Amino acid sequence: MSPDHAIGKSLPRLEGWEKVTGQCRFTDDLSMPGMLYAGVLRSTVPHAELLALETEAACRLPGVVAVLTARDVPGHNAVGIIVRDEPVLVEDKIRRVGDPLALVAAESKKAVAEALAAIKVSLRELPAVFSPREAMAPGAPLLRGKTNLLLHRKIRKGNVEEALARAHVVVENTYTTPFVEHAALEPEASLALREGNSITVWTSTQNPHFDRGEIASVLGLEQNRVRVVQQATGGGFGGKLDISTQCHAALLAWHTGRPVKLVYSREESFIASGKRHPYTIKYLSAANREGKLLGIKVEILADTGAYASYGPGVLTRAAVHATGPYYVPHVHVDAYAVYTNNPYCGAMRGFGVPQVGFAHEIQMDILAEKLGLDAWEIRSKNFLQPGMETATNQLLRQSVGIGETLRRVKAEVTETAI
Amino acid sequence: MKKRGWGLGCMWYGIGNTGLANPSGAFIDLLNDGTVILLTGCADIGQGSSTVLAQIAAEVLGVEPGKVRVIAGDTGVTPEGGATSASRQTYISGMAVKAAAQQAQQPLLRKAAQLLGVPKEELVCRDYKIFPFFDPQRSVPLQEMIRQCRRAGEMTLGHGWFNPFTTGLDEETGRGSPYATYAYATQWAEVEVDTETGEVTVLRLIAAHDVGKAINPMAVEGQIEGGCAMGLGYALMEELIVEDGVILNAGFAHYLIPTMEDLPEIRAIIVEEAEETGPFGAKGVGEPPLIPTAPAIINAVSNALGVRFFSLPLTPEKILAALAKKEGQQGRREAT
Amino acid sequence: MKKQLIQLEINNRLYEVPVNPRDLLVDVIRNKVGLTGTKKGCGQGDCGACTVLIDGVPVLSCITLAIACQGKKITTIEGLADAQGNLHPLQQAFLDHGAVQCGFCTPGMILTAKALLDRNPRPTELQIKRAIAGNICRCTGYKKIVEAIDAAAKEISTGGVK
Repeated sequence: MSPDHAIGKSLPRLEGWEKVTGQCRFTDDLSMPGMLYAGVLRSTVPHAELLALETEAACRLPGVVAVLTARDVPGHNAVGIIVRDEPVLVEDKIRRVGDPLALVAAESKKAVAEALAAIKVSLRELPAVFSPREAMAPGAPLLRGKTNLLLHRKIRKGNVEEALARAHVVVENTYTTPFVEHAALEPEASLALREGNSITVWTSTQNPHFDRGEIASVLGLEQNRVRVVQQATGGGFGGKLDISTQCHAALLAWHTGRPVKLVYSREESFIASGKRHPYTIKYLSAANREGKLLGIKVEILADTGAYASYGPGVLTRAAVHATGPYYVPHVHVDAYAVYTNNPYCGAMRGFGVPQVGFAHEIQMDILAEKLGLDAWEIRSKNFLQPGMETATNQLLRQSVGIGETLRRVKAEVTETAI
Repeated sequence: MKKRGWGLGCMWYGIGNTGLANPSGAFIDLLNDGTVILLTGCADIGQGSSTVLAQIAAEVLGVEPGKVRVIAGDTGVTPEGGATSASRQTYISGMAVKAAAQQAQQPLLRKAAQLLGVPKEELVCRDYKIFPFFDPQRSVPLQEMIRQCRRAGEMTLGHGWFNPFTTGLDEETGRGSPYATYAYATQWAEVEVDTETGEVTVLRLIAAHDVGKAINPMAVEGQIEGGCAMGLGYALMEELIVEDGVILNAGFAHYLIPTMEDLPEIRAIIVEEAEETGPFGAKGVGEPPLIPTAPAIINAVSNALGVRFFSLPLTPEKILAALAKKEGQQGRREAT
Repeated sequence: MKKQLIQLEINNRLYEVPVNPRDLLVDVIRNKVGLTGTKKGCGQGDCGACTVLIDGVPVLSCITLAIACQGKKITTIEGLADAQGNLHPLQQAFLDHGAVQCGFCTPGMILTAKALLDRNPRPTELQIKRAIAGNICRCTGYKKIVEAIDAAAKEISTGGVK
């Protein structure tokens, strides 16, 4: 391409100069005259009925400006991108360790810590459930409503039983994957400023317009009264898609009329934020003698933790991608997202696909081994090409580069072989 | 003993939200000094979307990318861009920016078409000049056209938005077109396993990614290399220990993520199977690099040891346990 | 706790700041001196984002008491570019080589690299990796960081830039 083109050029990032000189402002780098510091009192038990919060002693401590509880939420006391099932401040029921119970704004971080320690919590612990399989069993403790099942996503294409009957080789294994932390290097942070009947929140986020809607709902404001400014954000990886500090900082600024900054410590970031879903995947693959995939039958059981977050989206995506980048004529996938009293799980880079990717790729290697093929051959016999249909019967017309990536990697391996 | 092995991992990844409308919008203001303000809802969280969007605007308008000032993710002034997730921003916000830039340049093209006596559809903007695509020598300066527009009372503003074509998924069968396009990748890993300690050293990663078109190859490589690092962590070390709902390793002292010493040589290969509906053929790359890394590494370990593994992360303990089991089985076979 | 006035020399300037004996250097630099380029990623000395140079040696400012730094020369990321705003070769190389993504680890990373190059102007790749191993980056996969440091080393040793 000619040098006059902007496309295809390895330009340094626009804000790079600010970032290498330390002049780039992340949220915690901002401060304002009269600014208060904030903190969140969190549950230390996984499942309980919240009976009472005694905040008077905390309120009386020097430097403490506000102590807020669920009563102080003027609007809707719930947030969530797909299901609004997560309380901004717990009103009656604790569903996980880390649930927010009360907020403090004070003149100093020290006063915040003292006030948080001075709030008395009375609760009645409830039986809890920590495994999705147990959570689906009859009689399991319920997090809400009548079932812990958040989502069951089905993919049905062709007839897997038929594929099994014709298969030369069938491989079935169970895969497990862990909870994973995003660990973006910048912890979650927000600074909120009320001006009359409007509020501005500077925050570290992957989705400022979603944050605007949630803050407006929580404060009971129309959306155009809320301005969210995405400040320089120190990584996200899906961990800054959910509401973290935004609504809490906004609530405190709304009540105190003063700017309020809320920044998580690393430990709080671990405790409060969403995780990558742990999966248990039962994966059955059937192939013919030549190594062509005939069918797959997959059951994905995911622990979505205490709140929905992006769980339904993550499991739907996992189900859709369960075949891997291969043409499979017969597909039967069941994906379940189940509430438990564990940390909640949501979006994390790959959105549920890394887990199934692990499973389908180990399956491919085992199939190859059983058929006397190598890892390249089995994949070459099965990769998707234009004109083929996916597991959801979507016809792929163009821009299907899996074969080319395979070819290029093989060429690189061959070239660099010693 | 140290044993070496290699393994493959492949993946596909739908760009954008699954089976949902997920539009993004953009505003462009072409100023009378030839600089540009681009307002986008797209949050740059470090992946480099602002730079990529500036390059797209610059390509359309024929200006230097460095002259595009990007205001991103400010709900007071920017239109909604949707989430920076689902590897969707280059594709979706990229198309929105392209549309906005094209609208902003319409008055300039009309003026230039008059001056040059060609239909405006035949004009291109490049390097601060407007010229017929078939005759670059016959050009008018971009800034002069902007000044003429201003004198005539015409603004050079544009807005644009894009929503990828998707359909919902059938409840019972999942039938549908959940994404307008997919990214694809293959990764290859070479490992060395110490059979005494169970320690895995990843020696080499080769990662080829079909991104449609690399708007900024260096940024694409950065996504690939960073994804490989995160995938290596997923394969070998990262696990949040949760007991009775309590996280037992809530901090970097006990939750280990890859450091520079854990990373092997990474060779990123960019494959460009242009996507017709994307900006200049681009799709997305944010998430895909993480996905094939773990299976490539685990398959490589299996290749080295002749043992299969079904659980992440593959810690030295799991490897030693599997090796002990294998030895026991072999011992039994030999005894019988 | 009683506050006392201490003098800190940061980037060749003297600052007089009131501190408590237990105040951490990172908080004093960020909140009292107002140099927010130094980042706080973990607060426990595990991630390296808060790295500053004290008498040329990389130190984790989130586990260092401010009061212990009197009479020492502290360098933060703000002190690297020269008075005219020209970037240090390391800063320029990080920019040019795409070694920066979110930028949160960048100040600590660059300062750690500077200490390395000051004592070892032509490090091997392994020496670079060793030197930076205590600085976590979640974005880049480190490859471009190593390349940037290597490029800066070459620039400094051929260009004679200090």
